[in-house]
Amino acid sequence: MKAPFEGRKMMNHATSSLVKVACAALALSVASVVYATVDEAHDFTMEAAMPFVEQGFIVREDYWNGEVKSGQKLMITHQLFKGNEYAFWLGTSQEGVTLDMKVFDEKNQPVQIKATSDKFFMSVRVNPPKTGTYRIVFDLKSKKDEGVLWALSYGYR
Amino acid sequence: MNHLVFSSVFAGLLIGTLNLAAAPQGTKGVEEFDPLAFPGKVVGDVVVPVPSEVFSVLDKLGEPNWRAELRKADLPPSSDRTKLSLLFGYTVAEGFVAVQAEDKEAVKDLGRDIIDLAKSLGLSKSVLPHAQSILDAADKSNWSAIRKEFDQTQKTVRDTMEQMKDIDLSHCVSLGGWLRGTSSVTSVVKKSFSADRAELLNQPMLVEHFVSSIEKMPVSTRDHDVVKSIRKGLAVVLQQMEGAVDGFSKDAVQEISKTCDGLLTEILAKK
Repeated sequence: MKAPFEGRKMMNHATSSLVKVACAALALSVASVVYATVDEAHDFTMEAAMPFVEQGFIVREDYWNGEVKSGQKLMITHQLFKGNEYAFWLGTSQEGVTLDMKVFDEKNQPVQIKATSDKFFMSVRVNPPKTGTYRIVFDLKSKKDEGVLWALSYGYR
Repeated sequence: MNHLVFSSVFAGLLIGTLNLAAAPQGTKGVEEFDPLAFPGKVVGDVVVPVPSEVFSVLDKLGEPNWRAELRKADLPPSSDRTKLSLLFGYTVAEGFVAVQAEDKEAVKDLGRDIIDLAKSLGLSKSVLPHAQSILDAADKSNWSAIRKEFDQTQKTVRDTMEQMKDIDLSHCVSLGGWLRGTSSVTSVVKKSFSADRAELLNQPMLVEHFVSSIEKMPVSTRDHDVVKSIRKGLAVVLQQMEGAVDGFSKDAVQEISKTCDGLLTEILAKK
């Protein structure tokens, strides 16, 4: 078991199905004490991805995840290709968390075109103006927990 | 891509403040972001795009003849795990080309190659279900399912390697895949050159990531003949990318193509 806020190895999610999301939701509702996991955070990113998949987005199997101190900003650099549309899904399995995510280009200008959020996740769309390296900056603020488990997935079309 | 060891790195911690003024999203020029003054953590993990991310753009820019991009390479017999890992990445990337070409038989052949490589790497147990799914989906010409399975197969293999503390081999899988994918992209771009197509080669961050990964490998892997060649080849590729400030020239694309093809020849060599 790693210490709080230490990075965690990404889990192998061969299937990120509705069933798993449903199980996670059920577990959350039944348990009086919630033991959230990074897996569940990823499940919520997959829940966020579902409407995008219906619109033709292809979800990548790889994703980022970990645990972070509430309010601590995180930055990920990622390669995007002009001509694709991308969606990023940030998720957490903990209640009472406010999520924020923005994407910046190489000139440090924001490029996200649409953001939506829900209780356990948020989504951001990007149409990269150029092929190159982009920065995804995000944070998760919890009202009650010092640390927040998170996962970030993405898809393209 | 599960060389995604979460290696958060403090970057510019406490150097300054993140200047994110409140502004409507997408309002360019209002929000400013200074990465050098980023007060948070940088997640060091890099997710390497799968070839189909680039292929999908090439499809939008024209109609490449993907069947012409397929290679019927015979995989060399080997017990060298570094080489097997490079070959695994190569084969999965070739699978993405086969999906793009909608070539059912090629997908099946590659699915069988994946099974053979997984056996040689001692990873049959984790790979077989994916390989079987690839073969089943090929029978149904379910291209989106095959694409997903190739992505999952590669991730599963890398995850398993990392669980076995073989992070260097996991990087080799990514390297083999990236080299094959980039070779395909340069081949398509060369046949129908345009600035938009060539711009897809602007991937210096990924090349730097691979160079850094090789530098962190154990000496035994770093000194592997093929890995040494890849390290040299990546320097050539990076030079071309960094020199393409005003866009890639045909010569630059040719140089990247030649470099990637030369490295793939070494990976596929029987030695």
